[in-house]
Amino acid sequence: MDSGMGKPGSPADRKGSLVFSRKVGENCRHIAVELSEATAPSAPGQFFLVREWGVFDPLLGRPLASTVSGNCRLEFLFQVTGRGTSRLASLTPGAALELRGPCGNGFPAPVGEKLLLVAGTLGIAPFLGAVSALGEKVDVTAVLGVPGRGWEPFTEWCEDKIPGIRLNSDDGSLGRRGDPVEDSLTLVGPGRELWGCGPEAMLRELGRAYEKGCEKVLVSLERRMGCGIGGCLSCSITTPSGMKRVCVDGPVFDWREVFGEPLRN
Amino acid sequence: MSPFGTSLRTEVGGVDLDTPVIVASGVWPMDPALWPEGSLDGVGAVCSKGLTLKPRDGNPGCRIVETYSGVLNSIGLQNSGVDHFVAQELSAFSFAGRPIIVNIAFETLDDLVETVEVLKGSALKISALELNVSCPNVTRGGMTWGIHPESLESAVTAARRAWNGILWVKLSPQAPSVGEFAELSQGCGAEAVVVGNTWLGMAIDNERERPFFENVFAGLSGPAVFPLALRAVWEAAGAVEIPVIGCGGISRPQDALSMILAGASAVEVGTALFVDSRLPASICRELERHLREKGLSSVGDLVGRARR
Repeated sequence: MDSGMGKPGSPADRKGSLVFSRKVGENCRHIAVELSEATAPSAPGQFFLVREWGVFDPLLGRPLASTVSGNCRLEFLFQVTGRGTSRLASLTPGAALELRGPCGNGFPAPVGEKLLLVAGTLGIAPFLGAVSALGEKVDVTAVLGVPGRGWEPFTEWCEDKIPGIRLNSDDGSLGRRGDPVEDSLTLVGPGRELWGCGPEAMLRELGRAYEKGCEKVLVSLERRMGCGIGGCLSCSITTPSGMKRVCVDGPVFDWREVFGEPLRN
Repeated sequence: MSPFGTSLRTEVGGVDLDTPVIVASGVWPMDPALWPEGSLDGVGAVCSKGLTLKPRDGNPGCRIVETYSGVLNSIGLQNSGVDHFVAQELSAFSFAGRPIIVNIAFETLDDLVETVEVLKGSALKISALELNVSCPNVTRGGMTWGIHPESLESAVTAARRAWNGILWVKLSPQAPSVGEFAELSQGCGAEAVVVGNTWLGMAIDNERERPFFENVFAGLSGPAVFPLALRAVWEAAGAVEIPVIGCGGISRPQDALSMILAGASAVEVGTALFVDSRLPASICRELERHLREKGLSSVGDLVGRARR
């Protein structure tokens, strides 16, 4: 196992230059950034605050999970949802960026040899790095859910990155009709670990995997953030074990830590 | 050791600082292990999060919304309480090797005095107490302590009686007259005033047709408020003899210099650290550059120079 996986590298502020920015469907972007100095290696699930260099409007960096992490080169996949991501999507190669990271705790190396990844749309981002980091040491199955029609370029891109990824769509136009949780529940069982990233309602539903004998369910949460390093408490969540900061206590949490004890039959 | 020269050393309201750049309350972790590399360079002192007598979970719901060149926040003073701070957090915080300024918030004068009593029992050094008067006074229907003269006077007087160390008062920009409230704080025995805090604002989620924040109003900070804060510093510095510490919207090294030229003896940086952890070091370089250019030897020579 990669001993560095899941452990937080010290975050640093770095200047970077946009290498490419590619559309992956209607509102999604895949970008690569060349850094001026190396950062600590990041684990799948860790993130960077990314913003245009020297610009005060929009002000805050957007927390994006790195999909590919090298010493001086990072790649990200994101959806355009507001002013910050629109601005990032409008930049052309050569544009100067500022990045803070790697932030937070990523996914720890899996204990067993079988891993199931469950993603809702852009929730696939942290898993792209995981699949390549784990290589052939772990039997990985990835399950993706999308709304349906219109998401073809995105799903094709994901299929290219993760061959054999199982597709699910709400309208049945891409892969199976249905949501990725139902699909993943047909696959889980004792000895298989489950990682989830996507809408919170989906992540909550993943707790049903415990009923199927799954012993470990990890989820990556998303929140609006300020500092990204545990200072401002903008991303605090209430959990059964008290207040947690998504940026440094997470974004990857044990399912039970966030949602409490699962209901068992 | 500060990598910067002795020209930036200064004494502000009874606290010796290697540089006049202070990390404001509420923006930075109290565990230096979480600080990005290089972010301590140029930092003269650090403020704790706003501490209360009892632990607080803070506000539910959305806590941060970005605005044009700014940020609205409604954290609600989430903190582990002053006992936990003294027993656990202060030792880690002290590892920063910088003077520690402890920011305290309170709902009643009894809370304030009890909080101070706990801090007095600390074995580790607290360089100054920073009294946050932007919190609600529950005995006056939740009105902010710092926007009513009698309220402010009672709070500063109580803090002054309870605390025999250095006392700074962090004024509310919602006060009707920053100059008068700074003068009032001085009269009640404060060693310095910090001018100021976040500006009350709000944001509406048009899709949900509801305010974004559960508390409706939230505090605005970031570059958007810098000209407002600069004006407030100018007014306060014209009204008092004690030092004024400028705080509000400083986002570029030049902003800090402007604050000092307006009359601030030191500056606090907050929101800008969200985007540039090396701002304190950049501010120090800018101050040194300006001193050289003007043939001056000490940052103290710059204080209020725009008022001549």
